[in-house]
Amino acid sequence: MTDHDLRRLKELPVPLPREGSKATAVNAALEAYSPSRGRLANVKPVSALFEKAQGSFALGRPTDASATAGRSKSMRYRLPMAIAATVAAVSIAVPLTLHLTKGTTPSLFGQLSQEPSSPPPLIDEQRRMEEVQVAQPQPANAPISFAAVSAPTATHRSYDRSLLPYAEKPAPRATGRVANISDGRPRDITVPATIEQGRDRFEQAPSNPVKSVSSEPVSTFSIDVDTASYAFVRRALNAGRLPQKDAVRVEEMINYFPYGYPLPEDRTAPFKPTVTVLPSPWNPSNKLVHIAIKGYDIARAERPRANLVLLIDTSGSMAPENRLPLLKNAFRMLVDTLQSDDTVGVVTYAGQAQVALEPTKIAEKHKIVEAIDRLQAGGSTAGAAGIQQAYLMAEAGFDKAAVNRVILGTDGDFNVGITNQAELKGFIERKRETGIYLSILGVGHDNYNDALMQALAQNGNGVATYVDTLNEARKVLVDEASSSLFPIAKDVKIQVEFNPTRVAEYRLIGYETRLLRREDFSNDKVDAGDIGSGHAVTAIYEITPVGSAKLVEDLRYAQPAATPTVGPQNGKGEEYAFLKIRYKLPKEEKSRLIDLPITQAFEKPAVGEAPTDVRFSIAVAGFAQLLQSEPHLKAFGYDEVIALAAVARGDDPFGYRAEFVSLARLAKTARP
Amino acid sequence: MIHQRNAQPLASQGTLRLDWAAQVKDSVDRELVSKAAAGCASAFAALLETHYDTVYRMAWRWLGEREAAEDAAQEVCVKLAGAIRTFRGEAEFSTWLYRVTYSVVIDEIRARERARRFDRFDVVVLHQAHVAPSPEEEALDRELWGEVRGLPPQQRDAVLLVYAEDLSHAEAATVMGCTERTVSWHLHAARKRLRARLQAVG
Repeated sequence: MTDHDLRRLKELPVPLPREGSKATAVNAALEAYSPSRGRLANVKPVSALFEKAQGSFALGRPTDASATAGRSKSMRYRLPMAIAATVAAVSIAVPLTLHLTKGTTPSLFGQLSQEPSSPPPLIDEQRRMEEVQVAQPQPANAPISFAAVSAPTATHRSYDRSLLPYAEKPAPRATGRVANISDGRPRDITVPATIEQGRDRFEQAPSNPVKSVSSEPVSTFSIDVDTASYAFVRRALNAGRLPQKDAVRVEEMINYFPYGYPLPEDRTAPFKPTVTVLPSPWNPSNKLVHIAIKGYDIARAERPRANLVLLIDTSGSMAPENRLPLLKNAFRMLVDTLQSDDTVGVVTYAGQAQVALEPTKIAEKHKIVEAIDRLQAGGSTAGAAGIQQAYLMAEAGFDKAAVNRVILGTDGDFNVGITNQAELKGFIERKRETGIYLSILGVGHDNYNDALMQALAQNGNGVATYVDTLNEARKVLVDEASSSLFPIAKDVKIQVEFNPTRVAEYRLIGYETRLLRREDFSNDKVDAGDIGSGHAVTAIYEITPVGSAKLVEDLRYAQPAATPTVGPQNGKGEEYAFLKIRYKLPKEEKSRLIDLPITQAFEKPAVGEAPTDVRFSIAVAGFAQLLQSEPHLKAFGYDEVIALAAVARGDDPFGYRAEFVSLARLAKTARP
Repeated sequence: MIHQRNAQPLASQGTLRLDWAAQVKDSVDRELVSKAAAGCASAFAALLETHYDTVYRMAWRWLGEREAAEDAAQEVCVKLAGAIRTFRGEAEFSTWLYRVTYSVVIDEIRARERARRFDRFDVVVLHQAHVAPSPEEEALDRELWGEVRGLPPQQRDAVLLVYAEDLSHAEAATVMGCTERTVSWHLHAARKRLRARLQAVG
């Protein structure tokens, strides 16, 4: 090795960065740069990024023409909504073998959906950028070394929307919990626009507009098995306050409850859809299409082994009784549900990340419990270092046949350590690709960063759950441990095509943050939500049958909808809609398809004739929309919710539904 | 102020030309820095666009992995977002860029050292298993990089700054936060060490 060799160093080739990495970096930096946030960009890391997201998203939203159109449409429809539509709710259910409890509910798993989310500031930005460039001095024969500066269009366009997670997708809506990618680029979950009230942060998502079947016959979305919204709502109501509207997510409220929807006859499919069409309780001229899915429950004996790493925030803010002590109890309960072959490791993070317990088999449960008991709060929060440490541990114990998962327990306030939320998400996403998933248990209230937690969990194929009481912890970690820990299907997407001869308009209730583009449905690269063992997922559409009063006025120049250009063929004219569900088995990359024509055979003439679970879920949907001040509900109020839910409680072994009824009573007197 | 003296593609055009190009580039940077410092997001974006590759290359030279270098470059970009408004001039900017890139890569290298200590789990092996070897790296080059990266940290830094980044000893000293003499000393020690290794191998 000589001086000559060393002189070669500067000439040696350096592999080029991957396509898009520059754009991602520039984008992340711009996010941190925004003038609206002042100069603290990287001093106040993750949370700061969210605040900024909020600011700039709020301003320049959609750039894409269709997105803009969609949006203004929704606003226009919002007011004159006095008429109604029929509601359609679809349910899908899967066989349940039983396991820890009978009715498992949706909870820890899911991942997310995608939907174009977009932050637009960049688009303007780009335009301006080009202007700036034009203004630059440009020598006639500009040296190549600054081609980047002098060749604006080419270079800058190259990292235009398709590469900028934020600018990328035209956003149909203000936020998007998810961004996604139809072209197979990294499934990135973007940071939502958020609203901060108190110090809790929620993303904003205006509710879905009524759509005209003649102009947009197909509706596509990802399932969602998160349930965090319900716990927020409960906390607010128990305190005598109405929850902030952005904390209410209809699908999460509905999916909080266990439902006993029918299961598939055999195990070749992980679930089956069950559809019920019934009159809309809030608008007699409309119907609801209720779509239910339930995943079969993996029997205890067939469960894969679990390789779990608990990553526990032990920073000073975790000291209150409802934070670290609650998590400790929760994790002790979790340990009790595991089997002797499963392993648990514990990493804590406060000022720095520490290994509190190396991976230990449940057979030595006392060691695990002792380690949990020793945890104490103190110090600041270095969440990123902790996450890295936890993943290292999970990787070390990685078992292909097992479920490998990091479970993060935190109050969600990352104060120190991460300067870059995009980096953190990217990290989690890369780990997900290697087979290690992330779930999040949120506690505390002053500063819970819901939007961040959702985004992180979704990037990690996990669910963010908010835990406020020990009872809730039991529900999440014990009753639903199997659904949380053992996915039976992933990337579950639903697409419904409405028949214009039967349905004039439709409105998807909830799932605002999970909408997908039509073409994303059959694109296996587009990420969507997961279903865990025993999970139930419910989606409800409100539809206006042809002939009923419509919410959206006909267009003057379009073909009148009443003279269908699509003729009924082969008896298809009797169908309301055609339901398609795509999913992948946990270890597969190619999706499978389930489809089902929604015919009059599924129709119930009266709400009272629908199954108990269907009625209850509709009561919850009504309640959630009331909390959002949804104008479609007309005269339907809390008393109607109570009446509907009270007789649809079923056997309710854990009292969840009874609790719901009492929350609806509280809502009547809660102050805004 | 620190400059990369080897604006490679221009080599054939002679020194004069090169200086002229560097001047134009400086004036562009100066304008971008002052606009970005004043809050112009598009100027800031253009600045990042111009300097990303330099930062990425520097990170790669220390880290030797594309993915890690991308992460580091991104971190530098984000840090720049927080610091740009405090810059008074271009000189400060380019020095800053080297220093921050340097500290980011050093942090990353130290974090790896810590991870390695986590040896009970054999983390290193698992971790690296996911990193695809870069085809661009020829065996010989790999050996050279390996020798350089295997030097004691400060010797390695001095070698990379001076030989790979093409900085003067004084500039390298600014980045490393030491004196020029110390840089020269590290270089000397590094050369001696590399020669010794070469003899041992050969």
